[in-house]
Amino acid sequence: MTKPEGVHAHHCIARRGLVSYHRRVTDKRRSALNIIIYSAKKVITMNPSNPEGTHVAVRDGIVLGVGNLAELAGWGEYQLDTTFEDKIIVPGFVEAHAHIMAGGMMLLPYMGFFERRLADGALAPGIKSYDQLIDALRAEDAKLTDPIEPLVAVGFDPIYFPDQPRLSRQQLDKVSTTRPIYLHHASGHLATANTAMLESNGVTKDMQVEGLGRDANGELDGELREPPAMSTCKTGMRIVQFSNSTEEALRDFGALARNVGITTCTDLAGASILVPKLLGKWLEITAEDAFPMRIAQYNIPAMPGAAADFDAVAEQFVALQKQATNKLRFPGVKFVLDGSIQGFSALLKSPGYFSGEDHGQLLTIPEQFKDWLTPFHKAGLNIHLHCNGNMTQDLAIETVEQVLRTDPWPNHRHTITHAQLTTQAQLRKMANLGLCVNFFTNHLWYWGDQHYEFTVGPERANALEPCASALREGVPFSIHSDAGVTPLGSLHTMWCAVNRQTPSGRILGETEKISAYEALRAVTISAAYQLHLDDEIGSLEPGKQADFAILTEDPLTVEPIAIRDIEVWGTVLGGIKHPAASKS
Amino acid sequence: MIDFSVLGGYLGAGKTTLLNHILAHNQGVRFALLINDFGAINIDSKLVTSADNQQINLANGCVCCTLSDGFFEAIEALTQLAPTPDHIIVEASGVADVNNLAQYGHGHGLHLASVIVVADAETIEQKSNDKYVGQTVLRQLRAADVVVLNKADLCDPETLNARIDWVTQVSGGAPTLPATRGAISVDTLWDKHPRLKVEGEDHHHAHESYLSWSFQSQALQSTAGIEAFVAALPVEVIRAKGLVQTDDGDLEVQVVGRRRSLNTTEQALEQSELVVIGLEDQLQTEILDKLARQHLTSF
Repeated sequence: MTKPEGVHAHHCIARRGLVSYHRRVTDKRRSALNIIIYSAKKVITMNPSNPEGTHVAVRDGIVLGVGNLAELAGWGEYQLDTTFEDKIIVPGFVEAHAHIMAGGMMLLPYMGFFERRLADGALAPGIKSYDQLIDALRAEDAKLTDPIEPLVAVGFDPIYFPDQPRLSRQQLDKVSTTRPIYLHHASGHLATANTAMLESNGVTKDMQVEGLGRDANGELDGELREPPAMSTCKTGMRIVQFSNSTEEALRDFGALARNVGITTCTDLAGASILVPKLLGKWLEITAEDAFPMRIAQYNIPAMPGAAADFDAVAEQFVALQKQATNKLRFPGVKFVLDGSIQGFSALLKSPGYFSGEDHGQLLTIPEQFKDWLTPFHKAGLNIHLHCNGNMTQDLAIETVEQVLRTDPWPNHRHTITHAQLTTQAQLRKMANLGLCVNFFTNHLWYWGDQHYEFTVGPERANALEPCASALREGVPFSIHSDAGVTPLGSLHTMWCAVNRQTPSGRILGETEKISAYEALRAVTISAAYQLHLDDEIGSLEPGKQADFAILTEDPLTVEPIAIRDIEVWGTVLGGIKHPAASKS
Repeated sequence: MIDFSVLGGYLGAGKTTLLNHILAHNQGVRFALLINDFGAINIDSKLVTSADNQQINLANGCVCCTLSDGFFEAIEALTQLAPTPDHIIVEASGVADVNNLAQYGHGHGLHLASVIVVADAETIEQKSNDKYVGQTVLRQLRAADVVVLNKADLCDPETLNARIDWVTQVSGGAPTLPATRGAISVDTLWDKHPRLKVEGEDHHHAHESYLSWSFQSQALQSTAGIEAFVAALPVEVIRAKGLVQTDDGDLEVQVVGRRRSLNTTEQALEQSELVVIGLEDQLQTEILDKLARQHLTSF
């Protein structure tokens, strides 16, 4: 890791021709030198009234203004910080759909198909073959000293190995026949266990659990599909679950965000933060100056499938808001309404899936859904609704409409999140209802080819994440990573929305591309808007938080295809510098 | 082993009513119910010995819990109650994939006794065409070992019969038991694995519309014969159970709807006994007689 760069700016007394005597006296009553003016190659504000400047002035963590030095010098005695002289300053990125799991995953070895930058800046290579997987797991096995300590790794996805037989316990047995191994898949719905893992948990072929993968002879093949089967290998699954509630997970979550320029990140339901002990920990850690981001935490009011006294839960959440700090907020709640497209568990409108078996299922009861939303809506809590399938999205839109008929709240900013297969009619209706949308644009890259070939077919793959249509129809939109499902990285998420390119080189939907400027809006002020935080963050304007992403190149002028390759120096959060971990 | 049942069915079908009925007719079995909503269970307060937000303890030894943490954690907590419950029943949410939940009954010291799906006799067919939940409703019926067709009193006999046929068809042959306000012979809902008793009260079914057929013999049976007999039981059979002495050792027979199992047993048997139960107007005992002549010894 690099050491934090010091202020190698010189102290300098401003030329203050424009400053009145009275003003000078006022300044002297303030502590000296608490105004910092940062110089930059360019400051992009995302404030349409004042789009850019060369300097940004900050006092006590708050933006005084953006302009040139002469304009800003009028604020009084200042210190000029030239650290970013050759850099581009943009508003700190705001990620409106991510999970603490992104940090939790850092505690476990990564076995995903795409290379991934870790919290400490190191690059975990992508695993492109089973041989590489075995080698990587062997290396992890060698690091453990206790011979029966389970080896648990994450990120594997069989969807990228369509030509290979399914990964089996026999392959993992090549790593070890004595150490239990549990390979958690990227989807979160599958795992593969080796023989030692199965045996040490007493899982035998006589168990009739559906979801225990079997070979042609009825022998267990080690694949565990869905939680009931996954939970048979308790000793593996527990480690995955436990990792998310650790202090290290939260710290790594912050580090990952900082490394990519994110200064405010949601935990869109991940931590059980209503557990008082965990809440205390989060309040304590996020308050540290060294903790590099603000978190907007959204709780799920009840486990999918379970009912609850939602009036009481809404009251609890309103009470929770009283504990909010500058760095830990509780703007609202999240409901999960269905599964995923690649898992064929999202509920699709006709004509349904292109190929594969439809497992589409709602996780909520349509007749009750209005009653579930109403207490939160009435309490002024912002609601984010996970809908991957467009049939599910119909239900969400219909229900919000019903809620609004009874309890009007024009400024609700409720958001359909994921919303991957949003139709044109849905966008028109959403615009009328004041609904926002948060598209999962990273899907265009990570699963775009699979959507084109298998799940929804060419036409609807081209219409995935329809950002240009949302813009045209006037639906406020953001774009997201759903980290740890895909990595945090707002420049990558922008890149997807601007280029719509898949790994095979396909362009999915030329007409749904948006400009770099619109993409930057989507990951800054528009994301803040959906969290009801746009008067505090998301743009650089007088009185807002001094939260910057520091970039080495201008995302608005580089070749669009190079947006994701822009180096991120790090962030400034409330005036405090947080350099990214070095990519050594 | 703790018995484990999943109780599913769409919103309003009468799951809670059936749970209340089960609690009121627990016959000494310590049920632990994992339920969605305490408010709806409406337990007679005289029966409640203690209660908090998470758990209600009843004088008859039963407990009710709600799902607060994950499902897996909740099940595990129930299995660790003292005294250990005899039978865990999970009330699934109206849209739950009951087959998926049933899978928890295959490990963790549990024995899957049955998947029970409650359906509203009046509305089930219409619900199966709903754009949001139609497929879910059909999936639930297909996963059922037994379907309780509740609110039967709200349908005229012709409609009710048509509904029974429809459910039987879309569920792939699950026994479909009409009921009113959840009133049903509780014993037809599961196989009570560790406490099987062929003699005694189990022979007598309170509900007059049930018919039972039984077989007893001192002769040693052949394993193949028993297997063939169980496999050939007609779909009208709701419930069958028995303890059988065979040439390979003693076997326990359990049939709940389509769930059919033969397992070795350690119980000391003096003879072979089998009981088969069905609805009076559906079960044809002549067919059972014929099957017994074909596959069982010294009938």
